[in-house]
Amino acid sequence: MPAGTADVRDELRAVARDLLARGQASDGVPWRQLADSGWLGLEVPEELDGAGVTFAETAVVLEELGRAAASTGYLGAAVLAAGTLAALEPDGEPDELLRRTASGTQVLTAALVDGTDDGLGGAVPFRIEDRPAGPRLRGHAGFVPDAAEAGLLLLLALDPAGTPVVVPLGAEAGGLTVIPQPVVDATRRFGLVRAEAVTLDGVAVLRFGGDPRAAVRRLLDRAAVAMACDSLGLAEAMLEATVAHARVREQFGRPIGSFQAVKHACADLLVQAAVSRQLVREAVRRMAEDDPEAGVAASMAKSYACAAAVQAAGTAMQLHGGMGYTWESGIHVYLKRATLNRSLFGSPAAHRRRLARRYT
Amino acid sequence: MAPRPAATGAAPSEPAAPEPAAPEPAAPEPAAPEPAAPVAGAPVAAPAWPEDPAEFRAAVRDWCAGHVPAEWRRAQTGASEEEFAAFQKDWFQQLRRAGLAVPHWPREWGGGMSVAQQIVLYQELAARDAPRLVLAFVAIHHAASTLLVAGTGEQRRRHLPAILDGEIWVQGFSEPGAGSDLAALRATARREGDGYLVNGQKLWASGAVHADWCLLLARTDPHAPKRRGISYFLLDMRTPGVEVRPIRQATGGSHFCEIFLDDVLIPAANLVGPQDQGWRVAQETLGAERGMTMLELAERLGHAGFRWLAEACARPGPGGRSPIEDALVQDRLASLETEITGLRALCRDLVERHAAGRVGPADASIVKLYYSELLQRTMDFGVEIAGPAGQTVLEKPASSGWESGAWVLDFIGSWEWTIPGGTSEIQRTIIGERGLGLPREPMGD
Repeated sequence: MPAGTADVRDELRAVARDLLARGQASDGVPWRQLADSGWLGLEVPEELDGAGVTFAETAVVLEELGRAAASTGYLGAAVLAAGTLAALEPDGEPDELLRRTASGTQVLTAALVDGTDDGLGGAVPFRIEDRPAGPRLRGHAGFVPDAAEAGLLLLLALDPAGTPVVVPLGAEAGGLTVIPQPVVDATRRFGLVRAEAVTLDGVAVLRFGGDPRAAVRRLLDRAAVAMACDSLGLAEAMLEATVAHARVREQFGRPIGSFQAVKHACADLLVQAAVSRQLVREAVRRMAEDDPEAGVAASMAKSYACAAAVQAAGTAMQLHGGMGYTWESGIHVYLKRATLNRSLFGSPAAHRRRLARRYT
Repeated sequence: MAPRPAATGAAPSEPAAPEPAAPEPAAPEPAAPEPAAPVAGAPVAAPAWPEDPAEFRAAVRDWCAGHVPAEWRRAQTGASEEEFAAFQKDWFQQLRRAGLAVPHWPREWGGGMSVAQQIVLYQELAARDAPRLVLAFVAIHHAASTLLVAGTGEQRRRHLPAILDGEIWVQGFSEPGAGSDLAALRATARREGDGYLVNGQKLWASGAVHADWCLLLARTDPHAPKRRGISYFLLDMRTPGVEVRPIRQATGGSHFCEIFLDDVLIPAANLVGPQDQGWRVAQETLGAERGMTMLELAERLGHAGFRWLAEACARPGPGGRSPIEDALVQDRLASLETEITGLRALCRDLVERHAAGRVGPADASIVKLYYSELLQRTMDFGVEIAGPAGQTVLEKPASSGWESGAWVLDFIGSWEWTIPGGTSEIQRTIIGERGLGLPREPMGD
């Protein structure tokens, strides 16, 4: 791995865990705090005021955000937007946007999927049409993270030649509407982005470096692995909470954790977490190294870890008994987030379908 | 004709004790300093293998291409016990001559490969679908680690070279009344002159019919708490009073045996560690293979095991359609591939953390449990895919791993993993108590 070492990651993890444990992270981490932490610019080159490390470090933050079920703008800005900008041909504009991402002076996100397909990026959400009056942008994207909060949106579009490009648009652009898209999970915010004949006069259309389709594929894999990281942290938090509860909660005169039915359910969660960790680690490593074959590892990590997290949160609710079902216990926050993570950027079934294409 | 698969392999090791007692510090039997190199049985001029993992991989690959017997699976299918044993001994000697039989042993005894080299070795043997070392398994792993950790210098000199020469060992731990609760064992060893007089019955001793020596646990103090009165012995299987009877197991084969011990005299020199400290010796030596055998099995499941499953899914059925055309089959196959990939990474991680001294108290149990149940699920799916035709495969090759393409027998045989070596239930208890710190179940003693 180029920059970043295990020590750097351990330090980052400790700081993140500490910081997120201070407030009620699931109620929202202020943008300013996120920007000051330096997490937004982890992968931004140092000359653009970032930390110049890799996705391996971003993955640490993602895991900790999942562990705290934190409500932040991190997914839209650091995972999707910064990832998109880094994949573009370097020139003035992407560099400037990366600089503003790192410093947190620009709140931005990226719209990469149309929200109605299988989440693996079959359909590019927007298209640029050549019109006598000049190029126009049309299309819609769903489940765009933090869309309503972002001042700038990076829209994935096909240019008139059918090549994927990125169109940066201010939220106030004429013809562009952003509608909040409330979801059951209260820790994440999404928006529906619709473009109706948006004039692109004066808008610099940004091109991908290298093969554009492969670049889009990598971005979606990156998003999928980000979900897996979040789910891994979430599952571990749920296991820890459940074990802590089972050690002290007594029924029939003994801690419920001494009963095999409870103990074995916890053991199964630990095994699943161990497997998830290995699959996520491998996917993260390949993403960080820009391995062209990272997609297989990404699909394995996404499908396994996100499903295991639902199981972990569900088991946590079950083993906490009646208290676990209350709003107050907060376990519902994790269970909802786990189900959302599982469905975003490709369901387990969709990712396994992708893996299975290699068999025939 | 009833299906009669030949022996398939040594069962996994005996349980890590069900009691979650924290591993006690070693009871070091002050062993005499070893001579620089043992004389008899030492590997003679084994080739020097490259240290660099990539070069080593290429070299092992070359070696495999020249040495893995062609068509060994066919030859080992339906093989008699004698043919199986002869083939195993020959394969072991080939590996030994190449310096590949006991890579995990210390250099002065004929091993000395780095962990990185061992990982590569087992990956390549699996990728080449080489025969497994089934017969020598207990000897090169459990017997050797027992001798190296707790044996006397004399015991090591007597047995380690002999193991290289082909001495076969069996484990005599379990009894009819002592399975998961191993410490409840009742075989007795009474001090008698210059030795111990042993009486009792051992069970599930895999490959005992071929064994020259036995790792034996017997009770020397009937009045002590059950874990405190056990001693660890090396038993020569030719001693008068030792009788071995094969047990027919669920697959139809008879790899497991009962050992009856009737006034068997064991010289005091064959006691391992102090008298009454046998439980502790067993604790220290059972995990001494440091995850490497699990890594080998995971690699085999990932190579031949998954490959055969994928091939079975792609094979056209009676109607011309192959199972893989079914989206549900694709989904389950992808799910198994994902889990097997996770298992392999888990094993590699365990081995590497062992080497770094950072292994957790339940890590071995996590791997054993996950492998066992994943093996079972994978074989179960193979049975389903193979359909009625799969039911007509009545024999599986000996010397293979637990996956051979004889799906029904492989599936039945997978209980050899979920039951011995600490059942899946015992493993979950260990994981819950040692790995997660959950409270212990109230116990009778």
